[in-house]
Amino acid sequence: MLSMQNISMVYRAGMVETHALREFSLEVAEGDFVSVTGPSGSGKTTFLNIAGLLEQFTDGRYELDGRDVSGLSDTESSAVRNEKIGFVFQSFNLIPDLNLFDNVDVPLRYRGFNAAERKRRIEKVLETVGLASRMKHLPSQLSGGQQQRVAIARALAGEPRFLLADEPTGNLDSHMAMSVMELISEINSNGTTIIMVTHDPVLAEMASRNVHILDGRVSDDHPDIQIAQAATA
Amino acid sequence: MEIGPIWRAMMRNKTGAILIALQIAVTMAIMVNAISIMQERGRVMSRSSGIDEHNIFVITSVGFAEDFNERITIEEDLAMLRVMPGVVNAIQSNSVPLSGGGWSMGLQTEPGAEIEGTGVAIYFVDEHGIDTFGLNLVAGENFDATDITWRERSDTDWPDKTIITRAMAETLYPDDPDGALGKTVYISDTEPLTITGIIEQMQAPWNSWDGVERVMLAPTHTLFGATRYIIRTEPGMRDSLMPQVEELLAERNKNRIVRSMRSMDEIRERSYRGDSSMITILTFTIVLLIAVTSLGIVGLASFSVNRRTKQIGTRRALGASKVAILRYFMTENFIISFLGVLLGAGLTIGLNILMIEAFSLTRIAWYLVPVAMLMLLMVGQVAVFGPARRASSVPPAVATRTV
Repeated sequence: MLSMQNISMVYRAGMVETHALREFSLEVAEGDFVSVTGPSGSGKTTFLNIAGLLEQFTDGRYELDGRDVSGLSDTESSAVRNEKIGFVFQSFNLIPDLNLFDNVDVPLRYRGFNAAERKRRIEKVLETVGLASRMKHLPSQLSGGQQQRVAIARALAGEPRFLLADEPTGNLDSHMAMSVMELISEINSNGTTIIMVTHDPVLAEMASRNVHILDGRVSDDHPDIQIAQAATA
Repeated sequence: MEIGPIWRAMMRNKTGAILIALQIAVTMAIMVNAISIMQERGRVMSRSSGIDEHNIFVITSVGFAEDFNERITIEEDLAMLRVMPGVVNAIQSNSVPLSGGGWSMGLQTEPGAEIEGTGVAIYFVDEHGIDTFGLNLVAGENFDATDITWRERSDTDWPDKTIITRAMAETLYPDDPDGALGKTVYISDTEPLTITGIIEQMQAPWNSWDGVERVMLAPTHTLFGATRYIIRTEPGMRDSLMPQVEELLAERNKNRIVRSMRSMDEIRERSYRGDSSMITILTFTIVLLIAVTSLGIVGLASFSVNRRTKQIGTRRALGASKVAILRYFMTENFIISFLGVLLGAGLTIGLNILMIEAFSLTRIAWYLVPVAMLMLLMVGQVAVFGPARRASSVPPAVATRTV
């Protein structure tokens, strides 16, 4: 599903080089729910950006769904993002001037679906996240938890192969966080592969696998979360 | 196309868009009406004066000595000028077209002080007048030497013949302008003149006069103290002959001064200097307005790009290519500009109606409005291209940044 081999990412600012990822290798199988943890500056977000084709890496090889995506053009990587990857961001990243329907519609338009197909998908995913009745509302009229549900609906509308979630509960209170996590778990149980970056060890435990990153490398990889819990203890 | 979502998003944040649309509308209204004024001025300026302008120049001789004999001087000067190599012909006349100064009287088809005459510009010429000005005699005949009279400033008598322009014939005899030849008209209420010739066209000295083509030639030499010679040269000889003629006239008779030598091209340029200045100012105004509008579009689009950097990054993360982002901003501007030019079309016509009523301007040409709409839409697209391109270069990784 996702295979990273010896990925390096070096940011250069003048004479200064920052190694965000160092020979980073990771395999994620279809249907996995992987939580990615690590301290600030460890390379979690860089990993997420590379995994989601939001950034080009400096060295290494990356295969996504059996395809080498190392040297894709901007248009090609945009198409791969649109078709195969769903994003859930920490601050939801909904477009404030668009209602829920139009927000969910954004990736579908880039996909080139016709209006009827888009409408069917939007209504379906908003129904899934329990917000079908509020599709004409603006994001500002919703709570944080509801906004994140809309963001998840937007990520799911294109029926992606896997979902990348960047601190999806970071801006939510514990009650809303649990609600969102339940939704993410449900999505995973329906077969969607999920990679979730989080600081929260409790949320990380909800995944089936935990990958801990330190100094740009995988420091711990627990395929069974029980092992991860034991290691943490 | 994302017109629907773009429109709905714009309607929730519309102040900037409305201001730019209004700016485009006002620019269009002013621009189109200014172009219409320029076209009208251009039409006036490009009217033919009816004479061979490029090969004619004018020079004035003023006698000052007590023993200065004006009549002999005129006769000798003209005799000398007419045989100069490169000179086609020369006359003495009281005025030239476009000069701004000349004579006008009223001509009437019936005698009587109670009858209002039709205003006509008068050029005093001799039998060389038609050839010197390069006029086209379309009916009748030229004056001959025996027709020419000499007129002092205090004289009130008129010769008994005149040649008029076709425009004057049409005004005097609207039902039968071709029948004007041979008719008697009256000047100074009761002085009869027989129309012996009709010339195709000649302009009066005053370019803004509504009867600018109503002209009559009178077979007369004037003894008014200042003598204006009109000299027509072979093509290409005018500029070299001008200093020669000035020098010869000055040397031939020391009892006069020679001054005010100007080519007809220069007289035309001076005559329409105000119109030329107006065209320059209006052109500058149009360019300035378009520049300000373009800057407004650039400003709004740049502000919009800066404000929506995170949103652009999110769109990129969700699958928008660079081209899709570019297209988004271009489309957004197109919608704003289109509303602007639609409103502008209404404003343009409204302003034109006001200007027709207030300043008697002509109606704008039908094609100016659509051409201006297209042009401003293009200006908008060009102006927004830079900011849109900047937007398209926002990396998708911006979506995951928390600050």
